[in-house]
Amino acid sequence: MRAHWPTMGTVASVHSVEPVPDAVLAAVRGALAETDSRFSLYRQDSELSRIARGELALEDAGIAVRDAYAEALAWRQRTDGAFTAHRPDGVVDLSGLVKATAMHDSAMLLDASGVSTWTLGVGGDLVRASGPHPAALGIVDPDARTRLFTAVRLGDHRRALATSGSAERGEHIWTRTDLPRSPFAQVSVAADDIVTADVLATAIVAGGQPMLELACDRWDIDVLAVGREGELHATPGMRAAIAAAAA
Amino acid sequence: MRARAVWGSVLAAFGVLAIGWGVGTAGSPTMAPTLPGSAGVSGSGASGSTGSNGTAGGGSTAGAAAAQASDGSYTGAAESTPFGTVQVSVTVSGGRLSDVTALHLTDRGGQSVRISNRAAPILRQEVLAAQSAHVSMVGGATYTSEGYLASVQSALDAAGWR
Repeated sequence: MRAHWPTMGTVASVHSVEPVPDAVLAAVRGALAETDSRFSLYRQDSELSRIARGELALEDAGIAVRDAYAEALAWRQRTDGAFTAHRPDGVVDLSGLVKATAMHDSAMLLDASGVSTWTLGVGGDLVRASGPHPAALGIVDPDARTRLFTAVRLGDHRRALATSGSAERGEHIWTRTDLPRSPFAQVSVAADDIVTADVLATAIVAGGQPMLELACDRWDIDVLAVGREGELHATPGMRAAIAAAAA
Repeated sequence: MRARAVWGSVLAAFGVLAIGWGVGTAGSPTMAPTLPGSAGVSGSGASGSTGSNGTAGGGSTAGAAAAQASDGSYTGAAESTPFGTVQVSVTVSGGRLSDVTALHLTDRGGQSVRISNRAAPILRQEVLAAQSAHVSMVGGATYTSEGYLASVQSALDAAGWR
């Protein structure tokens, strides 16, 4: 089965060889919608929009917002500042992190359904059931998003594949002003969980080569980085995943 | 729940520090290999170099290390972190800590491996060779719904690919 619907300013897709019960799909939709209504800056009534307008102090926000902010700060520290929870104008923007967190929560709902072959995609980030899958995952061409760039057959435990780019929706990634322009057009990170994959993909685009090296040293991840001139870098695990898809 | 994870990583970090401190001061008794699966990697404590104080490896001579750590390599207890199980190996030389190496347990083979995960250059043709693979879903930096409408993923969805 395959379902897709608009949410969080983007589109969510669920694909599964076995059917996913309607109640589980509804719960996934609900989890994503709740995150959308609380955190989206394009919704005037969200808590984050009220904070941005100065109507609500961060410390008076709900526990979900404060938890997300605390986690964003923790990731900022872990990535030496490459990942940040603030726009250059100072507005708190947690959209990158909370989308991944909502996907993580949705993954737990799908896991609990007992279906073993599901894949969930939200705005180009993917998380799927642990274990073997009949098909590979694709990565879009950074120069033409109607084209497949490559495909990866990741290990059974590599549940998450997140991709960040510096081309589309420039405001998605807040590049530190004291850092040079990102050398990467697109960075894909595979990890055992979607939050780690998503945050690090964003951080590597923002933090460039030093962050790429830091992320590969510090976390158990596979990375494919596409440079602005088309040059490619891959970790051994990602290279093996590409070769496995090509075989 | 998230706060607990953060605290977990903080505690794990302190755990690693405590291991380092233990070696630097009191020496080997706490440093015996703790995981059966890790026994093959610098497991037995004494890895090689005879140091300036001439004591042969630490693991087997733990009792002698009351005042000063014996030379050798020691592997600490595995610490669970949000990113996987992490283990640290230290080398004591001349009674001083001379090297600290992070080992990473893959959890799945149960085998320790030295972290070596550099992103190296890869040829374009290697990457393009996988284009013909059968894919179930496509990832990309297509964040907006406009980007989605122009994406290969929307084509897959529209085709009802199963």
